[in-house]
Amino acid sequence: MEFLLKYLADILQGFIVTVEMTLFGVFTGLALGTLLAIGDLYGGRIVSAIISVYTEFFRGSPIIVQLFLFYYTVPSLLNTWVDGFTVGLIVFALNSAAYQKGYIKGAMAVISEDQMMAALSVGLSRVKAIFYVILPQALRIVIPAWSNEFCSLTKSTSALLVIAVKDLTSVGNMIASRSWRYVETFLFIAIIYLLWVTAVAKIADKVYERVKIPGIELSV
Amino acid sequence: MTETVMECRNLWKIYKDVVAVRDVSLQVREGEIKLIFGPSGSGKSTLLRCLAMLTPPSKGDVFLKGECLTKPGVDLNKARARIGFVFQHIYLFHHLTALGNVELALRHVLKMPKEEARKRAMEALAEVKMEKWANHYPVQLSGGQQQRVGIARALARKPDIILLDEPTSALDPELTGEVIDTLRDLAKKGTTMLIVSHEMPFAREVADEMIFFDAGTIVETGTPEHFFTNPTSERAKKFMMRLIKRTRRE
Repeated sequence: MEFLLKYLADILQGFIVTVEMTLFGVFTGLALGTLLAIGDLYGGRIVSAIISVYTEFFRGSPIIVQLFLFYYTVPSLLNTWVDGFTVGLIVFALNSAAYQKGYIKGAMAVISEDQMMAALSVGLSRVKAIFYVILPQALRIVIPAWSNEFCSLTKSTSALLVIAVKDLTSVGNMIASRSWRYVETFLFIAIIYLLWVTAVAKIADKVYERVKIPGIELSV
Repeated sequence: MTETVMECRNLWKIYKDVVAVRDVSLQVREGEIKLIFGPSGSGKSTLLRCLAMLTPPSKGDVFLKGECLTKPGVDLNKARARIGFVFQHIYLFHHLTALGNVELALRHVLKMPKEEARKRAMEALAEVKMEKWANHYPVQLSGGQQQRVGIARALARKPDIILLDEPTSALDPELTGEVIDTLRDLAKKGTTMLIVSHEMPFAREVADEMIFFDAGTIVETGTPEHFFTNPTSERAKKFMMRLIKRTRRE
């Protein structure tokens, strides 16, 4: 596999793009997904309907279709040229938010209305109750699901190939077509994905072990 | 005459086609302990939740120290901060330690500085003899200990009144004793309380007035002696007989 050595710089570049895309997507998605979950649960029927259209779109259409759609519409909407990398950031953040909204809402629903009532009974407002009582429990419960989302988003970023962003898969494709060594190249690429995803899952497990609270790790 | 702390006038709570609370009026004065008892499903919990404005009443008014809580525009969060509430199923915040449970409202409702909130929370835990367990999470405590933390959480804000919704009925019989002891201590200190309970020996000892509640409304009120010796209504008579029998068995 020595032929790969001369492409190491490219591979590293591609890996960094993949990592940036995934981290941005998953963390922006977490923040946005949390807001969407709160809006869905407490925002009333109209807000909830809008949110459901949003999530159904992102969960119901292929990521490649979403990338194409944004790639060809965002620049004309903003009336300026937007590169594929930026489009990727936007799409993966919005896409991940749709999925994470589901997980977080589920976790918030598990933390039943009793906790909300107890929070109100001590004089907290609804907003403060969500902030100090509901979310701290929900976000802990959601970590294992979040780790899955990370894993799945990492792999989805390989779709960036279609809008010519040089992520890990796309670099692999370039190397393979130049060297004609498809199997070795993609095997190597696959191993990099595997190591990265496993490492992050391990970190998430560690974080979960550290912040989990006796008694509320149930039912995940 | 001492001041009226909590009062409701002609209070109703109607769910779709069920009347849970029917035209209830009652008053609790400063330092008074009133005890509501009656068959399960008769609307006692709903009444208490309406008084604490955790469930909006359908009709009628609730007053806290003369201030009407049922008129529009009242800051209910502020009002609730002045009412302590103890739940039958306790509902401690699972993600916080005993101390955290008691401290939360002191920090974020009363906006006390950290040190002061901690000190006040520890005092409240000491009042229910739980200061040694301050750093334990709810699941690490027994039911009786959890309920004592629940009481400390209600006490810490120094509320005008504490409403207790069957504080011992979800506990094993051997654990009710410690909670009753805690309540007895509070009674001695002159805490104003409205308690839903069927602990008859305790009622006889501390209650200034007992209220027999059935089918969503007050059937009969009187001193403990009145109920233990000669209740007027047939329903109260029957219910007292059953309770006394049960207590003897225990």
